[in-house]
Amino acid sequence: MYNLSSMYSMGLLEKGILSIIPEIVIVIFAFIVLFLTFFEKLSKSKNPYYLSIIGIGFSIVYVLMLSGRTISGFYGEIGFNRFDVFFFIVILLSGLFTVLMSKDVMENFEMPLPEYYSLILFGILAMMILIASNSLIMVFLSIEFLSITAYILTGYLKGNRRSTEAALKYFVLGSFASAFLVFGAVFIYAATGHLNLYNIHHFLSLISHGDMIRYGGIKTYLAIGLILFLVGLAFKMSLFPFHAWTPDAYEGASTPITSFMATGVKVAAFAIFLRVYFLIYSSNIMNFNDILWIIAILSMTFGNIAALLSPNIKRLMAYSSIAQAGYILIGIIGGGYYGYSGTLFYLLAYIFMTAGAFAIVIIFENLDLISLDIKRYSGIGYKYPFVAASMSIFLLSLAGIPMTSGFMGKFYVLSSAVKSGYNFLVVIALLNSAFAAFYYIRIISNMYMPSKKSADIELSNKNGSFGIIGGKVSGELMFTVIVCLIFTILMGVYPQVFINFANNSVNSLWRI
Amino acid sequence: MNDYLIVASAIFCIGALGVLTRKNLIIIFMSLELMFNAANLGFVAVSDYLHLINGDIFVIFVMVVAAAEAAVALGIAIAFFREKGTIDIDKANELKY
Repeated sequence: MYNLSSMYSMGLLEKGILSIIPEIVIVIFAFIVLFLTFFEKLSKSKNPYYLSIIGIGFSIVYVLMLSGRTISGFYGEIGFNRFDVFFFIVILLSGLFTVLMSKDVMENFEMPLPEYYSLILFGILAMMILIASNSLIMVFLSIEFLSITAYILTGYLKGNRRSTEAALKYFVLGSFASAFLVFGAVFIYAATGHLNLYNIHHFLSLISHGDMIRYGGIKTYLAIGLILFLVGLAFKMSLFPFHAWTPDAYEGASTPITSFMATGVKVAAFAIFLRVYFLIYSSNIMNFNDILWIIAILSMTFGNIAALLSPNIKRLMAYSSIAQAGYILIGIIGGGYYGYSGTLFYLLAYIFMTAGAFAIVIIFENLDLISLDIKRYSGIGYKYPFVAASMSIFLLSLAGIPMTSGFMGKFYVLSSAVKSGYNFLVVIALLNSAFAAFYYIRIISNMYMPSKKSADIELSNKNGSFGIIGGKVSGELMFTVIVCLIFTILMGVYPQVFINFANNSVNSLWRI
Repeated sequence: MNDYLIVASAIFCIGALGVLTRKNLIIIFMSLELMFNAANLGFVAVSDYLHLINGDIFVIFVMVVAAAEAAVALGIAIAFFREKGTIDIDKANELKY
């Protein structure tokens, strides 16, 4: 396995570097942005902002250039195939939206900018490595890298008590979950003797064909390891029993970072869970679907009920993202070709709806008088017609109304679950989505049909307490909203292109 | 190998209990380190038993990550102390429904 002659051959090293070129681009730009701190003149202006956009753009170009290939580098630790290409593009888009949203907010807070943008780039880098990683070592390292950048970004608003508290809670619970992850890796290693995911996959498929009696102890170790590993990953995906950090961290962080955590971090966690699930959890030795099944139902139900009760829009989005994670998990449980491609489609749809909704939350924060309290959204449908209309479309898409991407995503995911015979699960999911539509539509009706009582609240709260007051809508935010809007509708009425893209990426999972 | 893994599990459980029950932030960080080091013990034991090297490599990475995490943790703790004047986590009660 560790052959010295092959280690030093030039071919292998070049191949390894080729497999991480998109990541290298991001690293270079992250460091350039970071070094701007030393030059006061450069860091004051908008340079860090433009540089990070250019970096993300270059990285997307390189991903598209490499997109046809399948490369395995660094002795199988890092892989690059079509599956990764799909998620690279999703992650880079979510990073791009975050950077675009950050400009206004960060200028209002008067925080040091270069560090902020370089941390976002490092976060994107960590997610890309996480998606490309093929071994338990790389999974652990990149999850920790991602978490540490996320902790810092959450607590970035210096002097803001809520931000610090959110970072504290996120940190304690996050490292707790990481410890479970690494302890689970110990038991998986003890059971199989491998750390590479593909080697573990081969080992398990050999055992499941051979006699089980000889490997009696392995099964116990494997069960413990896989459950602990699942705890660590479920935390990052914010599924039900491990969701406690989500509302606090989402509420305390600045809104672009909330959007980053809701789209990028969650998609990356689902990507690696999909890979690990496909290679290890779906082996014939144990049936993990029963556990995931319960987790999915609990996440959906809990997320929707809590979202119904929450008065703050960011908290509501946090709970709704827990519920969405439950829906996405159904696609993985449904399994097979259709389930996985449905999951990918849903994730792509999810980042557009969520990023768009958060961009509009930022717009509302910037406009005078309106804060994060849903009650104060009353009547803005007439004051700002375009913004309110796009917010309605994003919310309807999250609720899963036909003609939007959310509906098609739910359709693909649930139909794969029906195909695999999980009828009860699908019934619960449908009931949940009907229930969820209630609180999404409540916001819309609040925007368009102000009651007299809430108009009084609007007048009496002229000093907006938490939001920042800028009073203008910038071009970047409008651009983000419009792009998200176009894709949300396009994926709803003409999903074929996107589902083909997802199918192609899933195909490469089977070509090991 | 079994005995080592039992010891590692015991240490891990002690760490987990410490995180869940203690109120002082620094002691919580110590308990988190304990959990990571339990995993290290397990890796070393397993890779010695199986005569493999990659478990040991993992241990080195875990230690690096734990150090980086401690740096961030102490930074957050200082920021928290500046704002509240204490590191009792019961005082972290602003964000709740």
